[in-house]
Amino acid sequence: MMTSTIPAIVDVGSGTPQPRSLDARRGRGDRVFHGVTSLSGVVVLAIMGAVGLFLSIQATQALRSTGLSFLTTAEWQPDRGKFGIAAVLVGTVLIALVAVVIALPISLGAALFITEVAPTWLRSTLVAVVDLMAAVPSVVYGLWGLFLLQGQIIGLSHWLNGWFGWIPFFDVAGANPGSPLSSMTVYTASTFVAGMVVAMMVMPIQCVVMREVFSQVPIGEREGAFALGSTRWGMIRVVALPFGRGGIIGGTMLGLGRALGETIAVVLIISPRFDVNFHILEAGSNSVSSLIANRYSESSGFGLSALMAAGLALFAVTLVVNFTASWFVARSRSGASS
Amino acid sequence: MNQHSRSTRPSWAHVAVLVLAGLAALAFGSCAVQTARALSYQRISGEGSSWAANAIDAMRVNVKQFGITVDFNPSGSTSGRKNFLNGTVDFAASDIPFQLAPEDGSAPENPAPNSYAYMPVTAGGTAFMYNLQINGKRVTNLRLSGENVAKIFTGAISTWNDPAIQADNPGLTMPARTVVAVVRSDGSGSSAQFTKWMIDRQPAIWNDYCNRSGRAPACGETSFYPTIPGMIAQSGDLGIAGYVSQGFAEGAIGYVNYSYALGTQFPVVKVLNAAGFYTEPTPQNVAVSLLQAKINGDENNPATYLTQDLSAVYTDTDSRSYQLSSYSYLILPTKVAGQFNLDKGTTLGAFSYYAMCQAQQQSASLGYSPMPINLVQAGFDQILKIPGVVAQDINIAACKNPTFAADGTNLLADNAPKPQECDRQGSLQCANGTGGMSNVPTAVLAAATGAPAPTATTPAAATPAAGAATPAGGAATPVAGAATTPAGATPVAGAGTPVAGAGTPAGATPAGATPAAAAGTPAAAAGTPVAGTGTPAAGAKTPAAGAATPGALAPASAGAPQVASSPAVGGVVAVGGVVAVDGSSAVGGAPAVDAATAGGTPTADGVAPDAGALADGSATGLVPVEGAAAPEAPLGAVAPPLAANCDVDTGLCGAATGGAAAPVAAGLVAGAITPTTLSEAGSSVPLMLLIVALTLGLVLAPALAWRYFSQAGST
Repeated sequence: MMTSTIPAIVDVGSGTPQPRSLDARRGRGDRVFHGVTSLSGVVVLAIMGAVGLFLSIQATQALRSTGLSFLTTAEWQPDRGKFGIAAVLVGTVLIALVAVVIALPISLGAALFITEVAPTWLRSTLVAVVDLMAAVPSVVYGLWGLFLLQGQIIGLSHWLNGWFGWIPFFDVAGANPGSPLSSMTVYTASTFVAGMVVAMMVMPIQCVVMREVFSQVPIGEREGAFALGSTRWGMIRVVALPFGRGGIIGGTMLGLGRALGETIAVVLIISPRFDVNFHILEAGSNSVSSLIANRYSESSGFGLSALMAAGLALFAVTLVVNFTASWFVARSRSGASS
Repeated sequence: MNQHSRSTRPSWAHVAVLVLAGLAALAFGSCAVQTARALSYQRISGEGSSWAANAIDAMRVNVKQFGITVDFNPSGSTSGRKNFLNGTVDFAASDIPFQLAPEDGSAPENPAPNSYAYMPVTAGGTAFMYNLQINGKRVTNLRLSGENVAKIFTGAISTWNDPAIQADNPGLTMPARTVVAVVRSDGSGSSAQFTKWMIDRQPAIWNDYCNRSGRAPACGETSFYPTIPGMIAQSGDLGIAGYVSQGFAEGAIGYVNYSYALGTQFPVVKVLNAAGFYTEPTPQNVAVSLLQAKINGDENNPATYLTQDLSAVYTDTDSRSYQLSSYSYLILPTKVAGQFNLDKGTTLGAFSYYAMCQAQQQSASLGYSPMPINLVQAGFDQILKIPGVVAQDINIAACKNPTFAADGTNLLADNAPKPQECDRQGSLQCANGTGGMSNVPTAVLAAATGAPAPTATTPAAATPAAGAATPAGGAATPVAGAATTPAGATPVAGAGTPVAGAGTPAGATPAGATPAAAAGTPAAAAGTPVAGTGTPAAGAKTPAAGAATPGALAPASAGAPQVASSPAVGGVVAVGGVVAVDGSSAVGGAPAVDAATAGGTPTADGVAPDAGALADGSATGLVPVEGAAAPEAPLGAVAPPLAANCDVDTGLCGAATGGAAAPVAAGLVAGAITPTTLSEAGSSVPLMLLIVALTLGLVLAPALAWRYFSQAGST
């Protein structure tokens, strides 16, 4: 129902030519649709803005009292004025990094297998399974990690500590991996175990993004590679991976964003500690979201404000990570990197 | 045929209609009932102490039958108090009162004055549950002094073979395993009670730790346990118990309510008390300990009324005392505010009445200690302050609270068995298990002569009925330990030995009778249920005669308490646990202990407390012996369930709920039960796996099917 009115013809002969202005008059359906969609977009932005604003306002009281030391203090005793996010932020990032390092090869492999290797009947099944993994609630992952995975995985922690203990990351205070009586408890409730569980949760997200990108690899280039005598691996290496680079990075970072904010699974597994701890195999860890979950119901007034400040920091970090990720994904979707 | 089918068709339809109508009627009927109930009681919610959660949860489940729905979230005392102040829950459960002036630097809690009332709801012991093995066998009889407990939870002791721990446990070869202290990560009343105890008893160790953990200078009692690297912090009692009970958590020790150790079937530490005995927080021992608790009686100040001062509990010199005993409270609203209205008050009142009265019967079976009569009465008065409450006129004797005695004393405490001689500081420790593994003894290093005991175990296993013969003299103790032993192994014989020695001074007759008595004794422990059924065995007379010798009285003060306590630790009590004194012979104060009567007639149990009084005249001589002959009618009704059906050790009664039943029979099938109990600890993982697999399968199968069929349809 779009109608255009042609404006009156002005003096054509004289002066510089003027572009004709088009006045598209929309019909009602268009206007409703336009209104609804733009409203949705605005609402999403408004909600994000409101969250940020709310956190900022709530956090002011705490941030004003500590200033910049909020970023450098490791302890969390807000009622005594000694609190900061140094420990929890480091813990958050470490858990997320462990998760991504573990999830990246799995999700990349799964995505490549699904798009390039798997037979059709298996492909749809695998897609369903991976989607299902994304749908399992995080508390289920947490319980699974706590009661099943942890008991099994500390053997790996022990092994890593025994052979790679000289790397500072794999050092564990109080552990004696050589002794048969050494207690396995020093490896429990660690950043590594938490990261492992979170990896299972971010893996499907990464996989979905990568699969999408790989499925967009131009058929011509793919066939061309085969026509030139390339093996399947050769095709993947020279066509699929370069084309999907943006998607791989973007998917990974989306996963990182989720890993940063993961709460319940982490709460269930870690033993909270408040010192900057880079030993990922060592018992005890912490993250911003688990700190909030643990302390929220016990805090009031100033303590709550301090938690809001921690939440604000996490919000900012996640926002940056996610924006970067979506930028990468968008770039890759355009096909610019192929 | 055709005719027939035509005629049946309408009848089928008729039936279907009838069924539907019936279903509708049923549904409507149940709806109507639901509404009727909903009208009388509104759903209420509470939050708080995970220490008391097992008791509150049992109450919560039980009041459902009256149409009262109570939600309870065991998120920790601190969280409970906070949310009570925020008005998001109707009542709170807290081990400690509102922290008006906290000593740990946290923000003070500011409840509106006169808006709340404390009601003690249950009592219990903060137990130290541990996961430790020696040579692949779980240790169940660990003992620790208060100093060592404090050192463990402050990181001052780092391995289990520390000389200080070894000194507490001469009968064990402690392994060189790392000690992992598991503490609470959330705000917790048990952390507060524990730190308060440490501050009072081990100030130097605590202050040093407070400095090291960065908490100084605010080193007072704290709900937020400070941690140092190497410690594990878990949320809630369930979190600690869950961590400690994991297979990998060997070397871990955590503080939880005693009930959690029973629930997870793990042992607890026997802690050294001021009398020089290592005790565990059984309901009886807690009842004894809390006789020393100073309850604030200033009714005019609701901010402190009924709150507890436990400093005298820490220093109690009763040999049965457990230092970390305490009461836990419900915080009741006394004003209508926010979401709390009069209807909810009615419900909360009814729930509170139930909690103070009927629920106390069950406490011991869960691992808690029932409220004594004075606190129950005070609790009733507190309930009246709830707005909207419908006052109940309760005949307090009908509550069947096992602590109530006619003369106002605490029956449970009076009856509490004395610790065994092997629990005394300096002695070779008892072999008997503790907590949730009371039926699994741990072999202790054999000391000298262990001759009689191995033979003793045989009759125990073979003829439980002969057990009626038993309760003679101090000899009972060692073999009770042996009775629970699966095999008549020598080490256990060693365990028995020293105590047998302790029994010996009873005089010529009992001493001479020792082997025989020993032979009979385990059977007594094991056979108690049988004896309880009312068949006084003829053989019973023999040991009784031995004990009746006047000379036996002298050792009775030393030996008899052991008799009382032995089954308690062995976990096989019932009648045998309280050496019942035949009322008729006891009246004159004569020291005659008639075992036949005791074993044979559970009805005599109303008299039972006097056995304790007689045997240990010095400590608990509260119950007049003469009074024993004629107990008040309601109390006579109260006593038998406790003494006859209940296991004095674990408090597990014959009619106990769920998995609690097994330990009662433990004495009979101790040997058979041992392996199962041990393997049960690891069975949770496959179960978990199964559940996860089932869950996944339930979701996965339809998803795959859907995927498959949609694929098939499109191509």
